[in-house]
Order: sequence, then structure tokens, then C-alpha cells
Amino acid sequence: MKILVCVSHVPDTTTKIQFESDGSALNKTGVTFVINPYDEFGLSRAIGFKEEGKSVNITVLCVGGPEVEPTLRKALAIGADDAVRINTQANDPAYVAAQIASYAEGKEFDLIFTGKESIDYNGSTVPGMLAEHLLWPFVSFATKMDLQDEERAVLHREVDGGEEVVETSLPVVVSCQKGIAEWRIPNMRGIMAARKKPLAVVSPAEITPYFQTVRYNYPPPKGECVYFEPDQAGKLIETLAQKGLI
Amino acid sequence: MADQYISMDTLRYLLYQVHGLEQLLEKPRFQDFDKEAIDIYLNSVKSFSDEELFPYFREMDEKPVVYEDGKVIVHPQIQKIMQQSSEMGLIGGTFDYEQGGMQMPYTVLTAAYFIMDAANNHVPGYPGLTDGAAHLIVSFGEQELQEMFVPKMISGDWGGTMCLTEPQAGSSLSDISTTAYPQPDGRYKIKGQKIFISGGDTQFSENIVHLLLARVEGAPPGTKGVSLFVVPKNRPVPGGGLEPNDVTSVADFPKMGQRGYATVHLAFGDQDDCYGWLVGEENKGLGYMFQMMNGARIAVGRAGAAVATAAYYASLQYANERPQGRKLRSDGKKDPSEGQTLIINHPDVRRMLLLQKAIWEGSLSLVLQSAVLYDWETVSEGEEREQHRLLLELLTPVTKTYPSEMGRESVSNGLQVLGGYGFCSEFVLQQYYRDVRIMAIYEGTTGIQSLDLLGRKIPMKQGQALKLLAADMQATIKEAMAYDELKPYAQVLGEKMQLNQKVLEFLMPFAMKGDYERFLSDATVFMEFFGTILIAWQWLKMALKAKQGLLTGDKTYTPEFYESKIHTMKFYFKYEMPKTNALAQTLMDEEVLTIAREKELIG
Ligand SMILES: Cc1cc2nc3c(=O)[nH]c(=O)nc-3n(C[C@H](O)[C@H](O)[C@H](O)COP(=O)(O)OP(=O)(O)OC[C@H]3O[C@@H](n4cnc5c(N)ncnc54)[C@H](O)[C@@H]3O)c2cc1C
Repeated sequence: MKILVCVSHVPDTTTKIQFESDGSALNKTGVTFVINPYDEFGLSRAIGFKEEGKSVNITVLCVGGPEVEPTLRKALAIGADDAVRINTQANDPAYVAAQIASYAEGKEFDLIFTGKESIDYNGSTVPGMLAEHLLWPFVSFATKMDLQDEERAVLHREVDGGEEVVETSLPVVVSCQKGIAEWRIPNMRGIMAARKKPLAVVSPAEITPYFQTVRYNYPPPKGECVYFEPDQAGKLIETLAQKGLI
Repeated sequence: MADQYISMDTLRYLLYQVHGLEQLLEKPRFQDFDKEAIDIYLNSVKSFSDEELFPYFREMDEKPVVYEDGKVIVHPQIQKIMQQSSEMGLIGGTFDYEQGGMQMPYTVLTAAYFIMDAANNHVPGYPGLTDGAAHLIVSFGEQELQEMFVPKMISGDWGGTMCLTEPQAGSSLSDISTTAYPQPDGRYKIKGQKIFISGGDTQFSENIVHLLLARVEGAPPGTKGVSLFVVPKNRPVPGGGLEPNDVTSVADFPKMGQRGYATVHLAFGDQDDCYGWLVGEENKGLGYMFQMMNGARIAVGRAGAAVATAAYYASLQYANERPQGRKLRSDGKKDPSEGQTLIINHPDVRRMLLLQKAIWEGSLSLVLQSAVLYDWETVSEGEEREQHRLLLELLTPVTKTYPSEMGRESVSNGLQVLGGYGFCSEFVLQQYYRDVRIMAIYEGTTGIQSLDLLGRKIPMKQGQALKLLAADMQATIKEAMAYDELKPYAQVLGEKMQLNQKVLEFLMPFAMKGDYERFLSDATVFMEFFGTILIAWQWLKMALKAKQGLLTGDKTYTPEFYESKIHTMKFYFKYEMPKTNALAQTLMDEEVLTIAREKELIG
């Protein structure tokens, strides 16, 4: 069985995000990048299939420049077998989906995992578009996945107020949500082994980026915090009323 | 509880920019590592610490180790951590490939343990001592001994300890009385008591391998008659399996801090059925044990720095959230109608925060400096190797002591930042304060480290280690002099080196005259003096790299990050360095007040 796990390279959640002075791009100075946590769920589940005794090859893929390689190495250290980097900047979700589809086409993958969203731009659109390109079924927000046989899988997905259980044929694109597997921390032997695993750099397909980000704006600054002493309840009510909040 | 307990950015900055870890990775021994792998590894250790250590930190204090029905009961999390420690390379990771290791740089292991110490200082001693004990066996033990014990230790199934202290022999190991009786089969029967043994027993350990100092029956008195033995709690039997080895846990010492870390009183051979295996040769045990003790000394310094780091971040968070009082205007008046300001805006609170930052970052830098020297010693040969060894020998007592003593001062300032809440159990600072207190005691008290520094390490080989250190410090000074902003500080460091020379010129003649008591009577004052200067050297190194980072526009870190390093260096030189003058004055005072005389005046 061949599984493709798509991972993106995103700023750590503890990073203080700053943009370049003209607002055109993220200022990457001092920013630590990590594997998108939702993508790690997919990777963990794929390794889980291996541990269940299934014959599985796991390829991790990232669309990006050489700067994303540490993320791929980490995925290899966690347990993927090989890695692919599509050598182009991840300009927009449609472009990324088209690039992944173009790579995956004809490679006989049985399953493609993505995260439910990436924590940087939170688009949640790549997996759907990818399935559309490949004309495969797509199960989003999966919280559980079991393989019935080589051709069918049962998945649980989160829906408002409950869950939905679906059965699907393979190949399938699955976007992963918390619950589908536990994160795994790479250990030293895994990290050392990862240095010897193949990481292929492939040229991007000739696709014109679909859109261009013009500018990022910061949210409006938070107002000053005003403190009231316990005996100033009247003043608190007055202030809230003045602001039209009560 | 505070969310942050460490700065991975500062740790990486120290490793790569300040201490040049990447140059070390070019050496053949470390060819299987690169920066990328190490970054992944340290991030893994951080995730591991976030999930498995930090959440249990307060719980281990509130539900400490207990002794029940002859058993030492530790927090169940310890078992999980021991198992995972093996996979993380925390036990045996630095050993040679042939010894079952991964040839990891010791500096990287030190950084990994630092992260864990900061997350929960009650825990890393369990895998740490196991690693040290296994290392002693692979370094000096026969092949058979290695095969019998080491693989199970590296896998985390068996723990390891260092068994030195006895009720009458703490600081003075020459008074050890545990006795080893040679047996016809080559083993020794062991009889004696050991106290304060860290990680000495747990309810789940299939086995604990004690590396124990004892005296072979009839051995010469003093340290020259001390031998090293492997004495397991359960002994392997021919054909496989284990049987009890007459090692009894008599008690666990309840303590003021590090209450999740077992401190066990062990009795060996009460039933005359305790066997030990000699490591190396008879009567050379203390020399072997020094390998583990030196590692443990760096580890204690590391833990002191780490607890200070965690306390700093807890107090920083509080200072950023607690409103109190109003900012003093430049006309000296306060406007009561103005809202309260956050306490981080009060200069005195900022002073306490900067002091903590200066101490923990300076301490960590010194710890990593020693770790890097250890690695350079491992990969070099001949004269070069000897130089690294000498320098490390000189730095080790300071690396143990400055972070322990000043780490306590740092945590105390962190606690002070919280005002009344700092004293209350609900807040974590008081726990850090209690925990950090042990650092200046175990692994050789500050008094003993100071005797080692002044009495042994400074005069060693006609002061050669000190000369090597002076050359390294001069190199930093020279480089820093090229930058106008750093020049005044580089000059001060140069002056302090001369002051150190003056102090030694005053003290050394006492040794030459044979008056060792006078020579060493203020060794601890000298330690404080010397340690303060060494940390200034570390700060100048940090500021130098920051300055270069700013000037070259190195985007690894933000300009604020680099500027904060330079700022903290300036703080250290302004607030800490002048103390060396007072200490020097005390050291060079002719009057002697601490040496016992016939008439007892303390009473
Ligand atoms: C929590 C904990 C864990 C420990 N873990 C271990 C362990 O794993 N293995 C182990 O073997 N031991 C361990 N120890 C023992 C520890 O190393 C000793 O407590 C320490 O070395 C001091 O010995 P002591 O307690 O006998 O004090 P003493 O030696 O009696 O010292 C008392 C005081 O006298 C001073 N003093 C003693 N001799 C001199 C001297 N010659 N000159 C100047 N001053 C002197 C000391 O500095 C100290 O201030 C542990 C102790 C504790 C509390």
C-alpha cells in the first residue's frame, strides 16, 4: 500500500507574527518553523497502519523551497520512508493542490493524507481541490480511520454536534483532525536514520499561480485595559454604558 | 502555572553562535550528526518535556516519594520517562557505537537534559545517573561486566546510581568504611551502609545497578584504599534471570525540595549475601569514580541554571500581568487617577528580572562551555587533548558552583517579583526556591568545590590550566575591543583578570610556605570572585556574537534578541562585576578571622 502524506512547513504557534514593513509578506526573521500539526496526525496514522502489520510505504511531500527540508527530515525521523519536495514556493492553495495532484497522478497512491487545515493561512481548501484534480473521493475532518481491506476504508468524521461514519473506496484523500492518531516524538535513532532516507527534489509542473497576496493587515490594536477597584462598581457600569456595551 | 519554562532560541544561540557546535560536528566522530538533526532532536526533547515532565512538576512536589513496607514509591511517571529516555538517547547516547551508543556529542546531551531540568528538575537524575553509571562500566569495566549490565541500563529497564556517601563520610570520601571481601570466584562480598543515594530504589525497577565505593578488606587507609564496585539490587544468575542481592532500602529521606527524586538509605549485605563485581583495579576506585563525579558536577550546574531559567520565565509572566502602583513620573509625582501600571514597568522589578536573566543565561553559557570542552577533549589528541582536559578540570568546580549558588539568588529574585504571592504555595516560585537549594550541597558542597578550585585546579601543573583560560579570555577581549560599544566592557574584563592575578599573588605564598589552612581558608570567597569573572567572560562572548549578528544582518534571530543580549551583558558588568573589588579586598586582607584558634570565639 502506498500512502502520500502532505505536510506543510508553518511557523510555530508560539511565534510572534510580524510582516515585512510594506505588509507584503511574513517577516521570517527569528521565526521557528514546524510541521503543520494537523499534517502530523496523518503521518502518525500512516505509521500506525505499518505498526498494525500492513505493508505500507509512506512518502511525505511538501511544496516549497530548500527551507522546508528540515520539516521533511522531521517527518522522515518520525517514520516516513521517503520524502519529496516540489521545488516551488507554495503560492496559493489552488496552486499547491494542482502541484501535488500533478505529482501524485499515475504514481498509484492508495491514500493521501493532509491536515484539516494548515495553521498559518488556515485555508482548509487544498485537500478538497486535490481530490477534485485526481477525481478521488474526499473525506474531510477525519477523527478515525480503519482499513477494511486493500480497497475500502471506514472513517469517522467530525460533524456539528456529533460524528458521521463513512465508508469509502480507495484511493481517497483524507484530511485529518485531532483524534485520528496521537502525535509522535521522533527519537534519536529515528533522527539518525532519517539522514540516510531519500529526499527527492522534483521540479514543479508548469502551472500559473492562481492569485497573488497583495497585503497583510494586522488586526486593530487592542484597547487599553482599564482596571476598576472593587468599590467602583458604579463607575464600571457607567463606562460600559458609555461604550454602548450594556 | 506559567506556560514557558525555557527559551529554545537562547539555547540554540548559545550552542551554535557562541560555542560553535557546528565546528565540532565536522569531526569524524560526529559525522552522523548535522545541525538539522540536532535541531529536530532538541525540539523532540522539548515536546517530550512539555508532555511528560512539565505537567507533573507540581504534582511530584505535592505527592513526594514515600517509603512504605520496605519499598521506595516514586511517581508512576518516572517509569514511563525511563523507558522513553532510552529511545531519546538520554542513556548511553554519547557512548561509542561499539558500546551500544550513538556517538552523540555530549554538548547536545547536555542541552537536552537542560530542557528536561527546566521542565521538571525532579526527574532527569533518574536517566542521568543511569547514563553516568553505565558509562563508568563501559569505560573501566571488563567486557563480561559490560555485557552483564550495560544493555539493560541503556534500554532504561535497569536504573543506575552512584553510591559514595556514608553516615560518617560525606565530603570526605577517604573515610568510607563499606567493606568488600574477596571471594574465590573473583567477586566480592559487600558490607556497609550508604545514605542519600539518588534514584537508589523505585517500586518498578527490575534492577538498580549501584556503582559503589568500598574498601577491600585490609586496603590502605585514605583515598588510596578505595575501590569501585558494581553492586546490583538483583544479581544476574548463570543461565539467565535475577536473584535478590541483599541490598535493602532502609528509608527514603523526606526533603524540602526535589521531593519527586528518591534519596535512599541503602544497606548492603545485612544477610551476608551481597555480591559486588570489581571495576578496573583494586584501590583505584576514586580515580574512576571521578569520571562520573565530574559529569555529575556539570549536571548539577546545568540543573541550577535550568531551575533559574524556569523561575525567571514564571516571574516574567507574572510581571507582565500584575498591575500594581503607578509609574513614577520624572517630576517624582504619581497621578492616582491614572490606572495602575504593570509591575514590569517599575525599575526595581526590571532590575530583578535582568539579574535573573544575567544569571541563568550566564550560567547556561558556562555549562555549555564545559560541555563543548568535554567534546573537544574526546575528539582531539596529544597536546591539544591535554589542553582541553586541563581547561575543563579548571572550569568544572565553577560550572558546578556558580549556577548553584547564584541560581538560588536568581530564583529568590524571581520569588520576590511575585511579592506576597511568591511566598504562597499556590504559586510555583516557592517550589523552584526549595528545589534549587540542593544544588550547592550534593555532588560536593560549595565549600568542597572551592577547595578543589583554589587548592588543586589553580596550582595544577604550575598553573597551566589558568594560563590556558587566560589565553582564551584574552582572545575574547581582543575580538570585543574591535567594537566601540563593547570596548569598555572588554577593558573591565581585562582589569579583572589582572585583579585575579593580584589575589593569587597574595594567596599563593601561603601555600608555598606550607600554610595550607590560611591559603584555603577563604576558598569559597575566591570561588565567588573567580566565578563572577568567568561569567563576565561568558557574557562578553554572548554580546560579541550578538554584535556581529546585528552588524551582518544575520536573520536567524531578531534585532531585539541580539540587542537584549548586549543589554544584559551591560547589566551584568554594571551590577555584578563591581562586587569582585569587595571580594578581592576580603581575600587580600591580612586579618584572619575564620581559622579556629585555641580560644573558641564562636559560641
Ligand atoms: C538530596 C541529596 C541527594 C544526594 N545524592 C547522593 C548520591 O546520589 N550519591 C551519593 O553518594 N551521595 C549523595 N548525596 C550526598 C551528598 O553528596 C553529601 O550530602 C554532600 O557531599 C555533603 O556531605 P555531608 O552531608 O556528609 O556533609 P558534611 O561533609 O558533613 O559537610 C557539612 C558542612 O561542612 C563543610 N565541610 C565538610 N568538610 C569540609 C572541609 N574539609 N573543608 C571545608 N568545609 C567542609 C561542608 O561544606 C558543609 O557545609 C546526596 C545528598 C542529598 C541531600
